[in-house]
Amino acid sequence: MMNQYLISNRANAYLRPLISLLSLAWFLLPLGVQAQLTPACTGSLSGQILTSAPASAGLPGATIYIRELQRGTLTDTEGRFRLDNLCPGQYTVEYRFLGFTSVTESVRVPVDSVRQITLSNDARNLPGVDVTEHRSEAKQILQTQSELAGIALDQSRGLTLGESLKAIAGLYSIQSGPAISKPVIHGLYSNRILVLNNGIRQEDQQWGSEHAPQVDQFVASRLTVIKGAASIRYGSDAIGGVILVEPKAMPSAPGIHGEANLVGATNGRMGAVSGFLEGAFDRKLTGLSWRAQGTLKRAGNARAPGYFLENTGFQERNFSADLHYDRKHWGAEVYYSQFNNQIGMFRGAQVGSLSDLYAAIARPEPLVQPGFTYTIDRPFQDVQHQLLKGRAYYRSESFGELTLTVASQQNTREEYDRLSFSRVTTPELYLKLNTQTADLIWEHPVKRTPSGGVWSGSVGVNALTQGNVRRYLFLIPNFRANGLGGFIIERYAYNRWIFEGGLRYDVRTLRAFFLNETDDQVFSRSHRWDNANGSFGVSYELRPNLTLTTNLSTAWRAPNASDLYANGLHQSSVAYERGNPNLKAEQAYNGNLALAYTGERLSFDIGIFNNLINNYIYLKPDSVPTIRQRGAFPAYSYDQVRALFRGIDATISYKLSQPLTFTSKTSLLWAYNQTARDYLVLVPPQRSENSIRYEFTDQGRVSGLYVQASLLAVARQHRVPTVSSEMREGTLIFRGDFAPPPPGYVLLGAEAGLTLRLGNQPVQVILTGANLANTVYRDYLNRFRYFADEPGRNLSLKLKVAI
Amino acid sequence: MFTKRLFLPLLAVALLTGACNRDEENVAPDEDNERITTVTLRLTNKANAGETVTAVLDGLAADGSQPGTLAASLILKPNAAYSMRIELADKSKTPAADITAYIKDEANEHLLVYRPSAGLNMTVTPNDRDTNPAPGPFPVGLTADVTTGAASSGKLNVVLRHQPGTKNGTATPGTSDLDVNFDVSIRQ
Repeated sequence: MMNQYLISNRANAYLRPLISLLSLAWFLLPLGVQAQLTPACTGSLSGQILTSAPASAGLPGATIYIRELQRGTLTDTEGRFRLDNLCPGQYTVEYRFLGFTSVTESVRVPVDSVRQITLSNDARNLPGVDVTEHRSEAKQILQTQSELAGIALDQSRGLTLGESLKAIAGLYSIQSGPAISKPVIHGLYSNRILVLNNGIRQEDQQWGSEHAPQVDQFVASRLTVIKGAASIRYGSDAIGGVILVEPKAMPSAPGIHGEANLVGATNGRMGAVSGFLEGAFDRKLTGLSWRAQGTLKRAGNARAPGYFLENTGFQERNFSADLHYDRKHWGAEVYYSQFNNQIGMFRGAQVGSLSDLYAAIARPEPLVQPGFTYTIDRPFQDVQHQLLKGRAYYRSESFGELTLTVASQQNTREEYDRLSFSRVTTPELYLKLNTQTADLIWEHPVKRTPSGGVWSGSVGVNALTQGNVRRYLFLIPNFRANGLGGFIIERYAYNRWIFEGGLRYDVRTLRAFFLNETDDQVFSRSHRWDNANGSFGVSYELRPNLTLTTNLSTAWRAPNASDLYANGLHQSSVAYERGNPNLKAEQAYNGNLALAYTGERLSFDIGIFNNLINNYIYLKPDSVPTIRQRGAFPAYSYDQVRALFRGIDATISYKLSQPLTFTSKTSLLWAYNQTARDYLVLVPPQRSENSIRYEFTDQGRVSGLYVQASLLAVARQHRVPTVSSEMREGTLIFRGDFAPPPPGYVLLGAEAGLTLRLGNQPVQVILTGANLANTVYRDYLNRFRYFADEPGRNLSLKLKVAI
Repeated sequence: MFTKRLFLPLLAVALLTGACNRDEENVAPDEDNERITTVTLRLTNKANAGETVTAVLDGLAADGSQPGTLAASLILKPNAAYSMRIELADKSKTPAADITAYIKDEANEHLLVYRPSAGLNMTVTPNDRDTNPAPGPFPVGLTADVTTGAASSGKLNVVLRHQPGTKNGTATPGTSDLDVNFDVSIRQ
């Protein structure tokens, strides 16, 4: 619990009031209480917890927990506590300590903001620490974390996962047109980032530079990003970080509720409908709850200032169903989700050869500028991701909590290239990846030492097996990959300190299968990697509202089948990629330091990081182009270097006056290839987003009215590998990149939102304008930047109705 | 007791997963929907119909690992006029796919471009036409008139351009589906 409080402190200071706001809204909406978007969350709850015997002695280490906000803290050595940044409203607050009768009371902020509670000793009835509502142990790890939830998440409804995460400092995305957005954390992406979708490690061919996470953004009620190497708890590969996509907590009150979301946007004429229905039972079926959720989304050609981008429409059809049975000591869950999408690939980026590529780059605008259409034509991607998950747990005061999670995922990816002369209907690339995972984790019971310290921690085993089957063109081979890992994390909280240490050991194997086409025999290549990693973190509360956290950790990533054995033309990137079977595992040494402060007017969260990666795998341009029937292609092969990523994330929020808040989010990153003494490609440029927000007081049927204006400034990335060109075998070859990085840009955005009460029904309305000045710009991280401008002005309207 | 109830759903999940099937051990062959493995140039001397010259580029690589047999060469007479025909085929399919026929069917969006290298005294002028509306029709290039000048040698670059909706008679729009070179020697 103390950790939880500290984590809240570390969380993005700007988002926090918003998170609290929406957490409150989530809770209150079904009750029809008009308190959804209350402005000015500056309230606090403080006080002292005393024991009845000895009379009026302060009770250290007791828990204060606000149910609606899922937030809490522990009392200090004198039994005092303080919770800041509370929005005005009614809260249910629990006070408890092991061996004492817990007290639950209703508190109104700001009226009842100073409390004095006396807990009486109760040996007869040891209250079980109910951990269901608490933050999962996994999220207590001392790593730089940021969250997107509540209204901050609502503001990004309708966007892809990768795009919504850009609201967090230190996050970027690599795009392939408007619909494909791969999250980038501190400059690292693809397999170096783990996406945990509802607790399951998402395996969806994430190595591909134009393969975005196959996750329905509407499923999430909270997106948490752990920045930096977080391998210990989440498994190998998480060199760059972890993205946790967490659905809303299951309902416990009987009855059926639901929610409907409608999103419409002008650019691409995007429309999305998403909703869920959920319910819980009582009497004999107490503990049983269910939810069914679905999303439909469709967009046509996006429009850059002046022209439409050919074939950039996309469609999404997703649904999920969740069934829970939770008893006092045990529970089980079955979850199924299906994600289907079809994404048109911008045709202006489809080139047949190097000379076409040069011609396309040389054009200021795409040659073909069709009108608007929803029709998706070749080239396009058709991807389906299915997840079936089962989870069961047992917990008790004396035993702790044991959780077993098993899951099966199937990712089917079909990529259709443009066709020139044949009329085939089959894809050019077909990959089917089946992954089974099993995790067994034991959180030992929280142990309090006589001196007031608190021990918590967990041990666990993660197992994974996956098989990949390809058809049509060869890009990556068939393979079977297996992984087995075990970890232990222990945490000791004492006074204002928290110490955390973790150890992990992993074994991974990969066996790739090939066909010798001359004798039709299948042969295979096997690999095995072993790796031990560790982490150590310290958090110190300088003042109740100022926390310093530091973490040192190592992480590793075994080369994947694409790194080792890719061999083929990546049509959309105009590159012939060749794997390198001799690659070694990547090893990262990561250090983080974060300072978080929450004051009356000023709040900030500043983090610095340093990530040194040995054997960093990247695509190195080869000197000789590959000649194919379609012409010459630049060839790339996978190579390893020592790479350094360091930077600063800063989120600063300052309340200029009661209704007016200024927020600045800045992400700075420097990356360097120490082996070649050169820069690295695709490193996000420096960016800063500054916004000013005015919150109105509630009036009549309107609550939570705000208006906001923002300026996003992105610098030109000038730290790029030297671009040179030369003639090789009669072909002009560029080294480093095909074109210099685009200039920096500034985008103007604005937003307004409110909650309107229609009858008893609160309706949340958000109107967002992006790139309002219709600025013509190109982004260095968009792989189609060589060919066309980014989309222009986009107005979107989001409605959310609780049912 | 609890374990029994607890693990029932998990058992169901485990059964449904069908873990560890060995599909990946059956490897599908590499298959390209649109491949051109063979390019044949057939030239007939206009002054002597019995004099034909044929050059074949065969086994053009699909995966880029083995360059096609680029040894094909044309030996032409100086100061002569030939009529030329190009044939494109995909022999990786069974039966071999006749790509020339596809191009003929969709002549309005394809263009064959012939570019003699500098110093090679040769001109290639397509003599067939598509049915594109004005400002068309445009050349297709499946047949062409070839004239040679003084003795010389060099390369003839043959490019097949796919120009759906953008064909304008020049090589600029569209993308390349084929880009190969034939050795040409003009000598007596």
